[in-house]
Amino acid sequence: MVVRVEYDYVNARIKGMKSRLLAPPVFETLILKPDVESIIAELENTPYKQEIERATVQYSGITCIEVALRKDFTNAFRKILGFMKGGESETYIKILLSRWDIQNIKTILRGKNIHMTSAEIVECLVPAGQLDDTTLIELIRQPDVKAIIDLLATWGIDYAKPLTRNFKEYSEKRDLSILEYAIDKFYYENALNKLGEDSYDDRIILDMITTEIDVTNIKNVLKMIRDKINIEEAEGLLINGGVKLNMERLLAMIRTGTLEGAIKVLDATPYKFLSELPADVFKTEKISVFEKELEKYLIKRGISRFLGDPLSIAVAVGYVWAKYNEITNIRIIARCKTADITEKEIREELIYV
Amino acid sequence: MVDWGIPIGAGIAFGLGAIGTGYAQSKIGSAGAGTIAEKPETFGLMVVLVAIPETMVILGFVVAAMMMIMLV
Repeated sequence: MVVRVEYDYVNARIKGMKSRLLAPPVFETLILKPDVESIIAELENTPYKQEIERATVQYSGITCIEVALRKDFTNAFRKILGFMKGGESETYIKILLSRWDIQNIKTILRGKNIHMTSAEIVECLVPAGQLDDTTLIELIRQPDVKAIIDLLATWGIDYAKPLTRNFKEYSEKRDLSILEYAIDKFYYENALNKLGEDSYDDRIILDMITTEIDVTNIKNVLKMIRDKINIEEAEGLLINGGVKLNMERLLAMIRTGTLEGAIKVLDATPYKFLSELPADVFKTEKISVFEKELEKYLIKRGISRFLGDPLSIAVAVGYVWAKYNEITNIRIIARCKTADITEKEIREELIYV
Repeated sequence: MVDWGIPIGAGIAFGLGAIGTGYAQSKIGSAGAGTIAEKPETFGLMVVLVAIPETMVILGFVVAAMMMIMLV
């Protein structure tokens, strides 16, 4: 009998952290606040107090909230990684948190590609993965995309491999999506290779990764249909390994040539909910609405892991998604307040409470 | 001729109770330590929860003692 002793302590701590997540009435209070300053004051009465107080020393307004949320998010994940260090669950949590490494590298590459300032790029980063603040800031200091890839390679960071392999094609076409696709593919393939199907923990992480692959593929397919990309080119831009959508079904979606047709292919899958979106979303080809619904599905699925075995990685997976959801919702509320959006619209914008 | 059956039975009653208690306390103890680290105000409750499995070994001891006193 395999006794997974480490989860007793770790999951008790994670459940303690979960108990500090904001309850739905707190979100309602934040929505009813008249401006960003009063949201900051309200957040000082929540577990975000410490980070908000630190951030107010240097920043004000929306930047203060963004900085505090980012710091809190990073601290929470570093704490979980700290509990699991050396244990069998460390591999699982590293796979989950690598998602943010990929996101950060892509953000830096995009920022450099469109010549954003370092300060603007730093604002968009979430150093919740294995690449810490110092590493990311050093990457931002590099003058261009080539120098960033070279530095990653010099440090021996694995993500340099797909970037180096595809840099030639990128420099010929000047299309950043080539590098973005390469790094995404590398991440998912790497994650799938590290996971078996023997243990319950493996299956939990595998389910999340394969669902993410499905969601990423659907988003890409919808964009390809909108941009009228031909099927040969599209085939090379899809990721293998999805749980409900194999390559054949994804290509069938592209062959339909319309958003309505593509979504109809999803009828026998859990993504059928996309066909229930209003007709004008299909007419106007607003991919962002589909992306939001898919993101909502992914978050709900992640949070539902809390119902899994209490002595498994399921609790950590549930917490990671619940925390991500909370931070996303607070950011939505704060951003909407600066844009003077009505309370009814803010409630509609919230991903999941 | 010494009858070893009763002392062995008493030993099993006590020993298995102790093993059960040890296993339960190790699980509750480590989870309790995690909970106290996050929420120090739960310390009192955790002490009570860790102590609850003691009943198993106490019952085992009582059964063993009864066997030894009443049957030998």
